[in-house]
Amino acid sequence: MPAAGSPSDDAILVVDDIVVRYETAEGPITAVDDVSFKVRPGEFLSVIGPSGCGKSTLFNVIGGLLSHHQGVVSVAGETISGPHQSIGMVFQEESTFPWRTVIDNVAFPLELVGMARAKRAERAHYFIALVGLAGFENRYPGELSGGMRQRVSLARTLASEPKILLMDEPFAALDEQTRLLLGDKVLQIQQQLKQTTLLITHNITEAVQMSDRILVMTYRPGKTKRIVDIDLPRPRTSEVVSSVAFGRYVAEIWSDLREEASRGMQDEESYVLHHDGTAS
Amino acid sequence: MAETGRLTRAAAGPALSPVTLLRAAIILSALAVWELLSHSGWLYRDVVPSLLSILRALIALLTSPSYYFNLGVTAAEIATALAIGGLSGVAVGILLGANRFLSKAFESYIYYLGPTPKIIFFPVMIMWFGVGPESKVALGTLSCFFPVALSVAAGMRGIDKVLIRVGESFRAGPWQMVVKIYLPAMRHPIINGIRLGLGVALIGTLLAETKLSNKGIGFLIINAYSTFDMPRMYALLIVLFVLAIGANALVGRLGGLDSIKRI
Ligand SMILES: Nc1ncnc2c1ncn2[C@@H]1O[C@H](COP(=O)(O)OP(=O)(O)O)[C@@H](O)[C@H]1O
Ligand SMILES: [Mg+2]
Repeated sequence: MPAAGSPSDDAILVVDDIVVRYETAEGPITAVDDVSFKVRPGEFLSVIGPSGCGKSTLFNVIGGLLSHHQGVVSVAGETISGPHQSIGMVFQEESTFPWRTVIDNVAFPLELVGMARAKRAERAHYFIALVGLAGFENRYPGELSGGMRQRVSLARTLASEPKILLMDEPFAALDEQTRLLLGDKVLQIQQQLKQTTLLITHNITEAVQMSDRILVMTYRPGKTKRIVDIDLPRPRTSEVVSSVAFGRYVAEIWSDLREEASRGMQDEESYVLHHDGTAS
Repeated sequence: MAETGRLTRAAAGPALSPVTLLRAAIILSALAVWELLSHSGWLYRDVVPSLLSILRALIALLTSPSYYFNLGVTAAEIATALAIGGLSGVAVGILLGANRFLSKAFESYIYYLGPTPKIIFFPVMIMWFGVGPESKVALGTLSCFFPVALSVAAGMRGIDKVLIRVGESFRAGPWQMVVKIYLPAMRHPIINGIRLGLGVALIGTLLAETKLSNKGIGFLIINAYSTFDMPRMYALLIVLFVLAIGANALVGRLGGLDSIKRI
């Protein structure tokens, strides 16, 4: 890594003092409060926090899909004001286009910028092979498994060649085995492409397995609790899971997270109780 | 009925099933009663013409150039009505579905106007567009517009929001969003709306032609009626019946159209 100047100089993504409030029926809530961090080129940073702590909100702010926030997000020194070409998003929900074949799904971002048909087929093939779906080019998403569809989404985002890959719980809906294998795949691709990646997750194992650093968020308001450096050797695979150091990191982050997660649960329980009370 | 028929036939092999036999018997006895009636002299003159005279009229009809000319007129009217009503229905549906304010302001009108029989506007159409095909197109368009607009507006609201966010995240322009996301995501409601639209455009156009016109199949029917040429009128009704079945089957096919997937 070039040691030029202060850390901010070589950061590719700067997230500065982000605050997001939502107006709800119960009054305003602060979903994200004062979150700041930097991502260096080639780095894998995860944001972890219990469900409802504002992760998706942060994801949407960084992706430029949410604009009622305070604070600044900048990419390579440029402040973003909407979706930016340097940021590629992979969504938590099922997001392939069911009416397009795998290859046409992956070629979608290339089509938007008017790339010639032959060139875009070639590019799409490359990224389909990269996620391990060669041979499935002409299938429709409906004919694939959930894990394969999520790989199509990943290939589609990679095809736009973003400087920063931004993913919101991309494996949350998958079963454990698929999740592990897909995690391996992402790790391998990330190391191969030296892809700067920001992963949003609630899964500690996943975060420790893949990340260089992990940002732990608090629950309501979503603040930065801590940033943990993960000093595990690279290249990594899912086998790292069985090492002693790995277990230590997981335990360390879990102790941070447990407090937040149980606050989240209590919050949800009291919400349900309260609303049952008023409803009857 | 059709299901049982198919099942029985599958079980009994190629032999005629009781259902098929019953159906044939119903048709044959209807024809026999018809023929008896036509020869009985109970009814006024040609109200029930003999089958033979209907067949002769049918052949005469199918070999006359004027029939094809008028068929072409009606088909063109319906096609034009479907094109104008369908396209404007899709456009208005997208606007209503995309914009809460517009939908609040206008959608209830469309709901109330939708089921109103459009033929009541025919006098107005005659005044605006004359007795020629234009007033029929206008009525067909009016009929077609409502089901398409309502179906598309509902379809628009039913689009998976994450697909829209995918488009936005890749910085698709407004036109790209419409062509590459909204329209294909709404392919089912759009086809459904067009199916309903074609049905009512057909009814509206033919109804208008039988009211007041100088060309078209509806005109031929009402003309045969007013000159009391009953065999010809029945021949026209038979042809129309067959055409309507054909059009319905054609649009039914659209429902499963695979090429729509690949817009
Ligand atoms: N559009 C919205 N309007 C109101 N409240 C919202 C909205 N989106 C999210 N929230 C609330 O903000 C909080 C954070 O949500 P989210 O960012 O989705 O959390 P996470 O992704 O970590 O589960 C939650 O309490 C959620 O109910
Ligand atoms: Mg979320």
